Amino acid sequence: MNFEEAKDYLLKKARQMGIDAEVLAAESRELSLSAFGGQLEEITQATQGGIGVRVVVEGKVGYAYTEEKTPEALDWVMQEAHENALLQSSGGGFIPVGSALGRHDLLGEGLSAPLEQKQAAALTVEATLRQDARVKQVPRTSYQEQEIQVVLGSTQGASGGYRTGVSVVMGMAILSDGGAPKQSWNVDFSREFHALEPGKTALDLIHDTARLLGARPLKTGKYRAYFEPKAFAQLLGVISFMFSAKNVLEGKSLLAGKVGERVASDLVTVVDDPTLPGGIASRPFDAEGTPSRRLTLIEKGVLKSFAHNSETARQMGVEPTGNAQRSYKGVLGVGHSNLFLEPGSGVKLQEGVIVTEMMGLHAGANPISGDFSLQALGLKVEGGEVAYAVENFTVAGNLLSLLQSISAVGEGLEWEYWGMALGAPMVEVAELSFAGA
Amino acid sequence: MLSETLVSDVLRRARLGGADFAELYVERWKRRNLRMLSGEVKEATSGLEYGAGLRLFYGTEVVYAYTNDLSPESLLEVTETLVKLKGQAGQVDSRGEGGLDFRKQAARGLHAPEVPLSARDRRYRVERLLEAEAAARVAPEVKQVQTQLLEWDQEVLVATSEGKWVEDRRVRTRYVVTAIAQNETGMQTGTFGPGLSVGLELFDRYPPSEIGRKAGEQAMTNLRAKPAPAGTMPVVIGNAFGGVIFHEALGHLLETTSVAKKASVLSDKLGEKVASDCVTYIDDGTTPHGWGSSEFDDEGMETARTVLIENGVLKSYMVDKMGAMKTGYAPTGSGRRQDYTYAPTSRMRNTFIAPGDTPIEKLFEGIEYGLYAKDMGGGQVKPGSGEYNFGVKEAYIIRNGRIEEPVRGAMLVGKGPDSIAKIVAVSSDLETSPGMCGSLSGSIPTEVGQPHLLISEIVVGGQA
Repeated sequence: MNFEEAKDYLLKKARQMGIDAEVLAAESRELSLSAFGGQLEEITQATQGGIGVRVVVEGKVGYAYTEEKTPEALDWVMQEAHENALLQSSGGGFIPVGSALGRHDLLGEGLSAPLEQKQAAALTVEATLRQDARVKQVPRTSYQEQEIQVVLGSTQGASGGYRTGVSVVMGMAILSDGGAPKQSWNVDFSREFHALEPGKTALDLIHDTARLLGARPLKTGKYRAYFEPKAFAQLLGVISFMFSAKNVLEGKSLLAGKVGERVASDLVTVVDDPTLPGGIASRPFDAEGTPSRRLTLIEKGVLKSFAHNSETARQMGVEPTGNAQRSYKGVLGVGHSNLFLEPGSGVKLQEGVIVTEMMGLHAGANPISGDFSLQALGLKVEGGEVAYAVENFTVAGNLLSLLQSISAVGEGLEWEYWGMALGAPMVEVAELSFAGA
Repeated sequence: MLSETLVSDVLRRARLGGADFAELYVERWKRRNLRMLSGEVKEATSGLEYGAGLRLFYGTEVVYAYTNDLSPESLLEVTETLVKLKGQAGQVDSRGEGGLDFRKQAARGLHAPEVPLSARDRRYRVERLLEAEAAARVAPEVKQVQTQLLEWDQEVLVATSEGKWVEDRRVRTRYVVTAIAQNETGMQTGTFGPGLSVGLELFDRYPPSEIGRKAGEQAMTNLRAKPAPAGTMPVVIGNAFGGVIFHEALGHLLETTSVAKKASVLSDKLGEKVASDCVTYIDDGTTPHGWGSSEFDDEGMETARTVLIENGVLKSYMVDKMGAMKTGYAPTGSGRRQDYTYAPTSRMRNTFIAPGDTPIEKLFEGIEYGLYAKDMGGGQVKPGSGEYNFGVKEAYIIRNGRIEEPVRGAMLVGKGPDSIAKIVAVSSDLETSPGMCGSLSGSIPTEVGQPHLLISEIVVGGQA
């Protein structure tokens, strides 16, 4: 049985059982090539996928999924989902009325290239890295690509699918100029294989890591902070938790009840745009089939909207924003696509610390309390210029106060991928606590 | 899960195509996930994950493929594709001729559950979580309580061209209670999440009333806590999940994944002193019902108890099959992977610091000003530079040897195993705690553990 047939089988079964159901299937093809010592050390090739249902029985919602597409497995899925639904005590769940959404191809010929060129991409990153005498080891370099097909259908009329994908080139290196080593990584991704520049990815990695060599301890104190785009994008990923209407309704968001209020400096505008051309997380519709549209979350410091799926929208009396998120294994949630902080008029270095990278976000940043304390690497700025590298310190504060203390926003926009596409320019924060020596 | 003939055909085809070694990993994994919030079931999910991964060695080069389609046609096609990828489809390697005579090994049930996945009514689960929630509501400020139950029943088959045929079954259960306390000063959380290789008897081992209360109390402690201090100071780290410091600062540096590439600051240091005398560090895949235990690893090798560091001296690395080929160290049954979508690499299992002999109160004595990090969150490390960090979930100021007011939002950071040398005293109250560890071969269940211990100085990243 293929996914289309499995989807039809499940929807037919749901109708027979007299329950509403939404079926989401995803299938991906993956190729991964990693280089070490001038040779490919690991090649992975895969096809993988699964199908998941969300059923609603008298307003009660249940879920189940399978990766085995036999009638027995699909029957098990419907039965489990049904029993899971009956565990809910109150109703209120529903499958939204859907429509024909069409078939979309966002990838086209983006990954079309001979295997040799893709192998060369991985080998080039490693070779370029190893040309620099300061590069002591290259733990990993790789080329990876993924092609994803998503199919959605519901008993309420939703029907559609799309194909997307990504090609990624990545390098990791350990540098030393005789003193203590520094390890870092760099990644570049695109829906177009030919847009990747493996040599540049490697050179950028060397440049960004080499400037951290010879780092000195940072004295504990309050400093002006300059977050490089890569670092701020990581913070934006944590902040995005607060935009989710699901988290608002569950009492987990510090932004609850603040729509229309000033929550950030007026230099801050945050947008989620699934329609962004070339956006790595662009999609024609969300996991419930709500068509994609650009959503402004914060405009000049004022909270304009939360991100909604149909369920949170109904509970809060607003329109869905097209931010429903679900994988075939997962449950209905709220998620972002291409989320970014709009560029500003530029940052001028004065005194303070440039934060180039932060580590340990899963442990050091709490999206519910907003408190963060993160290990960071950076550069000390004195008299408007980079003076020396600093290490073994943390930068700490509260995410909401940080948004309010943003004192300048840079011009360019750089993208990172952390489960969603996150875009940020350089960001200056008037004052933050740094702990070090 | 698959016929011996099919498995044999796949492995032999790979060997005929020139692979030095072929391994087929097959997995069928039933999972249940139940999340409750404030008395209501928010989501209940059941899942069936099913797939196979085929790994071939050509010298030290690895090719890997995985698929959900386990039909003979599909598996043989996948094999053919891999062989072609190596450009050796036309050749016949005579080493692959002849039949495969499998030596079958099955799990003995050392970690088998008392209460299997299918047992007990679904309501039983809901009632236990409700009990935990009720217990978490220790004060009116506890506004929200989230509880979550995970149940895994994973069956695996590992068969290799060397004639290995291993079947293992891993049943794991974990529940997590998160309390959210809120007042005019803000929102704070408290979390506890016990988990073991057991069935629903987990609720008997860790009563929901106790775990819920601990989560609620931690949220309330954090609500009245002031921001943590910033600076370098002595820190006493609590037992159980406190062991995450060693997981990050030592454990990851001892995996052949990075050691083989000299990408760990602890490469080539066997027999050398890498920590202070009071440190003995053990990775044990055999702990009965441990969260990270299994009878066999994901390469089909029996798991073992591996002493990594004894009285400060490096005794062993954690070695998987490919790691053994590259380094010459003997495999330690440490080849692990999240599921069939990952090729295995060397990973931790249940890793802990052995008990020392310093009485707990002695750890605090003589500290004029410091931090007591009672409960920890996760952490991260860069093996190449040794820079590591870990978050603190519950902490107190130590003043003149006494535990005083609570502080929140601290992160501890360090650099290089040299700071491990600053662990100057280890107490005897060893406890372990479950976590999920993410690395090259995905996210896997591991236990961390330690007794209370004292670090003479470390950077505390607070705000004050």
